[in-house]
Amino acid sequence: MSDRRSVHITGAGIVCAAGLDAAQVLDTLLSVDTGIAPLKYLKTAHSEFPVGEVKLSDEQMRIMLGIPENVPTTRTSLEAMLALRQALAQSGITASDIHRAGFVSGTTVGGMDMSECHYLDFIENERYNAYLRTHDCGSCSEMTAEHFGDFAFITTISTACSSAANAIGLATEMIRAGEADIVVAGGCECITRFHLNGFNSLMILDRNPCRPFDAQRAGLNLGEGAAYIVLESEDSARRRGVKSLARITGYANACDAFHQTASSPDGEGAYLSMKAALADAGLRPEDIDYINAHGTGTPNNDLSESRAMQRLFGEHLPPVSSTKSVTGHTTSASGAIETVICLLALRAGFLPVNYGWATPMPEGGVIPNMELSRGIVLKHILCNSFGFGGNDSSLIISAL
Amino acid sequence: MSSQIFITSAQQISIQKPLCEEWMDSPVYYEEKFVRCVDPDFRQFISAGEARRMGKLLKRALATSLSALKEGSVEHPDAIITGTGFGSVENTEQFLDAMVRQGEGLLKPTQFMQSTHNTTSSLIGIHTGSHGYNSTYSQKFLSFDSALYDAWLQFRLGKIRTALVGGHDEMSEVFHGFIRKGGFICEKDICSEAAVSVLFDNDPGERKVLCALGGVSIMNNPGERKIMESVAKLLADNGLDIRDLGGVMTGMNGCADEDAAYSWIDSSLPGIPELRYKHIFGAGFSAPALGVYAVCHCLSQGFIPSVLVDGATGSLDCGRAILTVNCDERRHCSLVLLKRV
Repeated sequence: MSDRRSVHITGAGIVCAAGLDAAQVLDTLLSVDTGIAPLKYLKTAHSEFPVGEVKLSDEQMRIMLGIPENVPTTRTSLEAMLALRQALAQSGITASDIHRAGFVSGTTVGGMDMSECHYLDFIENERYNAYLRTHDCGSCSEMTAEHFGDFAFITTISTACSSAANAIGLATEMIRAGEADIVVAGGCECITRFHLNGFNSLMILDRNPCRPFDAQRAGLNLGEGAAYIVLESEDSARRRGVKSLARITGYANACDAFHQTASSPDGEGAYLSMKAALADAGLRPEDIDYINAHGTGTPNNDLSESRAMQRLFGEHLPPVSSTKSVTGHTTSASGAIETVICLLALRAGFLPVNYGWATPMPEGGVIPNMELSRGIVLKHILCNSFGFGGNDSSLIISAL
Repeated sequence: MSSQIFITSAQQISIQKPLCEEWMDSPVYYEEKFVRCVDPDFRQFISAGEARRMGKLLKRALATSLSALKEGSVEHPDAIITGTGFGSVENTEQFLDAMVRQGEGLLKPTQFMQSTHNTTSSLIGIHTGSHGYNSTYSQKFLSFDSALYDAWLQFRLGKIRTALVGGHDEMSEVFHGFIRKGGFICEKDICSEAAVSVLFDNDPGERKVLCALGGVSIMNNPGERKIMESVAKLLADNGLDIRDLGGVMTGMNGCADEDAAYSWIDSSLPGIPELRYKHIFGAGFSAPALGVYAVCHCLSQGFIPSVLVDGATGSLDCGRAILTVNCDERRHCSLVLLKRV
């Protein structure tokens, strides 16, 4: 397209089990450590499952953000506000910049953490009616965005575990089409009893720390958090005098069209989304230096994703790792959290390790990266996010 | 704009007779304040076995989608994009209710799976074997408009040639209570349900075309001046003038709070007939999709039926284009311009 413009990342913010900002997450990754731990903050009967919780209570987050107790808000939005604040600060976004900027956020759980506490109140009394207006996904984005000002555009994508990747994708397309100069995009999700029980009912939670791509992998560990990146046209970044950190050069979304909760054996959707993302970026498989896999740790995903990567990359398969054994599966936020992890790897020059991996899959799956390889130069990184129903998305993050 | 984006089908299941436009002549009016959809016989779309596992929202979405794809002769749309405010509330409610009242023991995975908003788009993808772009938006009353905006963007970037865009919401007794208590819709409004599928095609060949998409704009808290600038730009981009508009479709419903969001129309679009849809289709997160659907059929048939115009005695000419304005509590506002072909 003649009107296609390059899309720069000028700020990033992240809050997850691996750290409360980019510096802490980088430190966790470089120390080859994990944020997954026994359950502490969520009140649930299922304490047997390890999780990747943000190591803050709602009250602590309210204090950090200056939100008084009488203002209704949800854990998802609190995590989102912390991450968004970092991204806006790094990019030097002012109030007047916000007025012309878009905000695209991914979430699925939205305000369910409060709804599941007050569900019976909603039915029986008027006490918590204010939380009826924090329940839905759109309200979650509005609450998050409005903490910082009046964005010119707000929308919410809800494609389960690929929500944030698609939010970054939409933002990229908006800048390419000249619809906006600045779009802040990402995703957020706190752990709720609702989806912890949902994943448990699907029998895909591991009672031990998860081991993506390992022969003994037995499911995922839920995580939570939020991440946002400031995406900007080259002209706008130059005008504002801000430094570009990297670019989004490719985005694609494809549907596996196989099953509502399982991936196809040959990973058709994953294959199509990775292939189309490469085409979108004008790159060949051998140009990719690292793949941050979806790699949930479920037997089904990791084999299916392995097949898709092996089919597409063949002998050019670059180092691959899943960082979900560090952050937990942060569901709707994962696409953004992992994009920020890719950005950190690209900027600091290292390969994130697939924490917890020990044994190759007998079926011949991908052998993930286990060496930090510090000092390496990364030009192009592919980041995968796949959601329920085969909502498969891939992003390509490139050096300047 | 290098090529036109045509609408080749627009289908609805609502509180009016389903999968047809009988409401244009003889709409059904309701006294009740909570009305569920008039459902078609789903057996013509899905087997009884499949239907048993699906909630109402999914069945309706499949029925409107398959009808639209059939009418527009498209097997595998390049994009399937759905907007939903609350998603499958019946499944959400059942799962939540069981978890809260009976504890975190044996909960049903099907209910959880269907409570996830993207189930609809992915089900349509699975059912039609479509591997293309597949996404879901959830932005309250702008959910459908957001989905439409995404499709519009991708057409402009040359990424797609066909798109199936839907607006789907269902309502249960319990969530109806939540909608009322939360003050999401006006007290006077009927709380209803909606399933709308609109098929877009930029190369329909000899096939029947309802109208063309002139553009979509979504703004947050824009203020009147910015809205008018966007209207002017939309019209100019399509070589149109305000006088070319046969009408402006709004969500006005006689509730002062909500109608205030449209107060700029009188002075900014003088003499343009104001069209309404909520008295026919009710209100809800996906109701604005029915406004767009209704405009598609007005432009296709060349007239605006009197039922859409407050106080009209006969039908009106549809003009060269109709603008749909959807404002949400004065914060979000969308503009959808549809043109006569």
